[in-house]
Amino acid sequence: MPAVGQNIAHDSGRLHVSGASVFIDDRAPLPGELVAGIVPSPHAHGRLIRIDVAEALRVPGVLAALTADDVPGHNHFGPVIANEALLVEEEAVFLGQPVAVIGAEDEDSLRRGIAAVTVEMEPLPAVLNIDAAIRADAYLIETRLIERGDVRAGFAEADGVVEGELDIAGQEQFYLESQIALAIPGESGQMEVLSSTQHPSEVQAMVAEALGVPFNHVVCTCKRMGGAFGGKETQAAQPAMMAALIAQRTGKPVRFAYGKDDDMRFTGKRHAFKSFYRAGYTNDGRLTALDVRLFSNGGCSTDLSPAVLERAMLHTDNTSYLPNVRVTGRICKTHLPSNTAFRGFGGPQGVASTEHVLHEVAVATGRDPLDVRRINCYGTDDRNVTHYGQIVRDNTLPELFDSLRAECDYDGRRAEIDRFNAASAMQLRGLAVSGVKFGISFTRRAMNQANALVNIYLDGSVVVSTGATEMGQGVNTRIRQIVADALGVSYEAVLVGATATDKNNNTSPTAASCGTDLNGSAALVACTKLRETLDRVAAEILGDSEAGLAPEPEMIEIAEGVVHDRRRPDVRIPFLDLVAQAYERRVSLGERGFYATPGVEFNRETGKGTPFRYFTTGAACCEVTVDRFTGEMAVTRVDLIMDLGRSINPGIDRGQIIGGFVQGMGWCTTEELVYADDGRLLSYSPTTYKIPAITDVPEAFNVRFLDNPNHTISLHRSKAVGEPPLLLGLSAWLAAKDALRYVHGRSLTPRLCLPATGEAMLMAMSSSQLVSTAQR
Amino acid sequence: MRDALHLYLNGRPLRVTGDDAWLMLSTFLRRRRSLPGTKVVCAEGDCGSCTALVGRVEDGRLVYRSMLSCIQRVAQLDATHVVTVEGLLEGDRLNAFQEAMVREHGAQCGFCTPGIVSAVQGLMESGDPLDTTAVRRGLTGNLCRCTGYDAIVRAAVATDLGSHRRLDELYPPEPIVEALSSAASESVTVRSGGRTFFKPATLDEALGFLAAAVRDEGKPPMILGGGTDLGVVHNKGEEMPASAMFIGGLDELRGLREEASGDRGVLVVGGATTLKAFQSALAERLPEVAEFLEWFGSPPIRHAGTVAGNLCTASPIGDTLPLMQVLDAEVEVASARGRRTIPMADFLTGYRATALEVDEMVIAVRVPLLGPDEHLRLYKVSRRKDLDISSVSGAFAFRHRDGVVDRVRVAYGGVAATVSRMGEVEAVLEGHPPTLDRFAAAATLAAESITPLTDVRGSADYRRTLCSNLLMKLGHEIDGGRFNGNGRVDSPDAPLNGSLELAVTGQTNGRDGGAA
Repeated sequence: MPAVGQNIAHDSGRLHVSGASVFIDDRAPLPGELVAGIVPSPHAHGRLIRIDVAEALRVPGVLAALTADDVPGHNHFGPVIANEALLVEEEAVFLGQPVAVIGAEDEDSLRRGIAAVTVEMEPLPAVLNIDAAIRADAYLIETRLIERGDVRAGFAEADGVVEGELDIAGQEQFYLESQIALAIPGESGQMEVLSSTQHPSEVQAMVAEALGVPFNHVVCTCKRMGGAFGGKETQAAQPAMMAALIAQRTGKPVRFAYGKDDDMRFTGKRHAFKSFYRAGYTNDGRLTALDVRLFSNGGCSTDLSPAVLERAMLHTDNTSYLPNVRVTGRICKTHLPSNTAFRGFGGPQGVASTEHVLHEVAVATGRDPLDVRRINCYGTDDRNVTHYGQIVRDNTLPELFDSLRAECDYDGRRAEIDRFNAASAMQLRGLAVSGVKFGISFTRRAMNQANALVNIYLDGSVVVSTGATEMGQGVNTRIRQIVADALGVSYEAVLVGATATDKNNNTSPTAASCGTDLNGSAALVACTKLRETLDRVAAEILGDSEAGLAPEPEMIEIAEGVVHDRRRPDVRIPFLDLVAQAYERRVSLGERGFYATPGVEFNRETGKGTPFRYFTTGAACCEVTVDRFTGEMAVTRVDLIMDLGRSINPGIDRGQIIGGFVQGMGWCTTEELVYADDGRLLSYSPTTYKIPAITDVPEAFNVRFLDNPNHTISLHRSKAVGEPPLLLGLSAWLAAKDALRYVHGRSLTPRLCLPATGEAMLMAMSSSQLVSTAQR
Repeated sequence: MRDALHLYLNGRPLRVTGDDAWLMLSTFLRRRRSLPGTKVVCAEGDCGSCTALVGRVEDGRLVYRSMLSCIQRVAQLDATHVVTVEGLLEGDRLNAFQEAMVREHGAQCGFCTPGIVSAVQGLMESGDPLDTTAVRRGLTGNLCRCTGYDAIVRAAVATDLGSHRRLDELYPPEPIVEALSSAASESVTVRSGGRTFFKPATLDEALGFLAAAVRDEGKPPMILGGGTDLGVVHNKGEEMPASAMFIGGLDELRGLREEASGDRGVLVVGGATTLKAFQSALAERLPEVAEFLEWFGSPPIRHAGTVAGNLCTASPIGDTLPLMQVLDAEVEVASARGRRTIPMADFLTGYRATALEVDEMVIAVRVPLLGPDEHLRLYKVSRRKDLDISSVSGAFAFRHRDGVVDRVRVAYGGVAATVSRMGEVEAVLEGHPPTLDRFAAAATLAAESITPLTDVRGSADYRRTLCSNLLMKLGHEIDGGRFNGNGRVDSPDAPLNGSLELAVTGQTNGRDGGAA
């Protein structure tokens, strides 16, 4: 039985449940190992007047104290534009930016060393949010534009117009394992870096540039991460660079680990967005024109913000065909840690903006919000070209909406909720359906490439290495499944080792949901090459020229470790024997595969192209109950259908779906980043920053996979799953909005931004609170 | 008197001396015992990744409970059996729940997983079948960012308890009980690096140590009950004092008993009684409180944190403070000089300040139960339903008889520097029929009489609105005739999330600590 398609347990599952899986900080300290930590900037924006580390160096146990001047290579870094200083030079641009990095023999000495550093800094005015940045005209890049049709004409044919602004909050990744790196100096200036990173190649490059050594002097290895969610795509680099700088200076191994509080305070998050929107609609709820201006809070440097903004703009359609649309985007430069990748990568914000518009159109037209979503939905044969010119092929969205509507009894429940809300003095209920159409590929074309190395050993066991990093999402399990089938060996015969830059070079981050698509495809290429060799050898062994059966490699079948020639099914040899014979014949038992996603192309200047290989689609229905007196909200039921093509591993995919949804739900409900006026993050630990707990997830959570045989273009006909379900968490927010429709009557929509915290809900309802009392 | 801690770790005896006694258990396990399965994420008891099991001898047998190893000092674990995730294997084999977790994809990144496995082991120790609700209530203290929890619940519910070994089966209890019982009867003093840790075996020893410390050092030692508050404070950088006394193991202070007093009973809660024991004792006597305590922290916090500690912390967001105020609880305190009883209204003197003298400690809290026709209503409003600190909490006690309410007591948490009664608001309601108009007047006055802060848990406006609305909510519940005479409120509408039978607000946390 092929491994692909099986519900195989996560390849670290047995280790995780017994506490035996090794994360970086689980390693016992190496002999002489130091701990490193930072002296953080006390101001969000400040001019550095003086920094003095002399006292710190006198603290017993402190062995190094480095400032910007001590960085031998580049102190500036960034994945696209190197405009962030690792260590503060003249000006600090976010609160917590490292002013100095200290290395010490133990935690106590480190604490004392950090305290002994003198930092004199003149505070400068700080810009912290989008409104302030717009007022200050503080931006990171030029305005981006994507448009289609004639917006002016669209408004002219509209029966009505909705317009307004929407604040969309950021989100903390809240991976449980905080950022960490261990740098081990080697000979001749070389450096080995163990990093909890989604992007070992970038850590390798950043460390090499900071140290001033060639890339080939640095090996970055990542065995696994305790969660990442985008937060370790670029920002794993800083801890690694700082550990490596101290290691280079002292010649000792150095561990740099952020505690959870500092990790939350000092590293980037999902971008907050603000949307200024104006939309024209017909009386039946169809959008005729959409004019959206998106602003993101980029933080202090570029990081990945342009790509995040671009994805937001490319996802402002979500499931809706927009005949006349104009989307502009700007990145605000603020004095916050540079905002970065987080599962969805701008997509959720772009989608939130448009789903909000659809909700307002529903309120304005008096139509059910699901009817409005459905009437605007992309068609299968027409109305199926996106605003950037990509055709939505094999569109399953109409089927998803219609199946979900029937399966979850949307209409029956709507009627019940109408009755309930009319009668209940204590609670309100809300119901909403939202869909997702998520583009799969990096929008930067060059990143859509991967390489893989597959080695077969003489005992028949196999190791595969790729640039994919394991953060819990199961990419290693899937790659094992793919390689096992491709070579014809058992799943157990294949191992995926730690990801390392000396095995796989110039790799892309494991991100954009395409870790399996890219790396699995590269592994498949390598396996195909190996099979060509092995099949040729097998044909020689199994063929029988005297009997008229000339060796024919195409006749060779290898499955579950057994090899035979289809013409002689009775003669079978173990894979192990084939490998031994191949070795004797001196043929290669290791191959490298290379893969580049075909057909992706996007022109930034024109805003047109086919940036995505395909779309992953889905829909969810969410119901909430709100306490009229306190605003507290509970999600009481979720029904969800995803089109994942043919799942490579349904168990793992199911975990991605539910986990992603719940993360999106958290963003939309309880998770709120609260800042003080001086830029200090006040919600910097799980005590104050509330990700969903187990009781926030409804017991009634129904997940179904859409059977879609038409998706044929990607690996094993599967679809990527990592990010799309997160966007369905927006259905919780839309359900909250739906509940609010019943407070004020349908002519008035209370403006509910994102997230829908209890406080936001109560404030949205509060003007009616005593009214509802009086009405009883 | 011993000068070393005696405990068991994964079935083997262990003697701990010196600085190691002061380490948090998680650090001790990871760095001193090469047991890195136990993870640390938040170091403040709010994520559950560090969950371990701690067995204590009670009535001659080992009772294991989940604890948060990042806020439990090794010193607090004298005379206990600590079992970590590494100690849950059956030989080399995964246990039945671990197998189910693997099968159901209950682990993704794996970082929360050891804590979850330990917490579920704790739930399974009772031997009671685990249904979905029990698993969900049992894991409110364990955050997972990957799975959305669904697979974890399925794994726990799918586990066949018949084939899952309890800890008494993995670790034959007899020798451990014998060793720990004898250890528990001894006092312990560990000195190292200028610091003294003392674990008394009797209350007299405790009071003597307290008096001596005050006399010799001019200030009291840190008194640890469960340490769930002080553990956080020290993890987050506050200096530890030079001496500490752990009273959590003092059997004299761990009990509960009911006394009669006039027309009602009084529950006398020992000074080291955990919130969990308090909650269990109130299930029949004061179900409103028992259910409210479901939202106090999380199970491992309630396993360690004490009722007295929550009062002594005297935080305006301490979850038990409002209810103690409206129930007219009394605090029994003792010193080597003698004993006295302080009414709750006098015990809290300001922001994190109490009426305790430096040489005094709480030995009991006297909690009056409800008399005939009396009702208690508790609300807690927070950002997240479980394991959260309240933005505002409200406690309301009243008698409802002959169409009139009297004996009205109102207290809010989270709206002022300390928790105190709202006399003027009470007066508006006192002696009147509980009409919605009357409640509206009280609600307006409540909002006017407070000046709450704006902070990370909510704006001043939000808090003021909540103070009003909680009274309105109560008014609606009374108006709807929802009280059925035993102090309980029937659900006016469908319950939130179906987990508890009350359609109440919900939400919880607050911390205990034994600070004196």
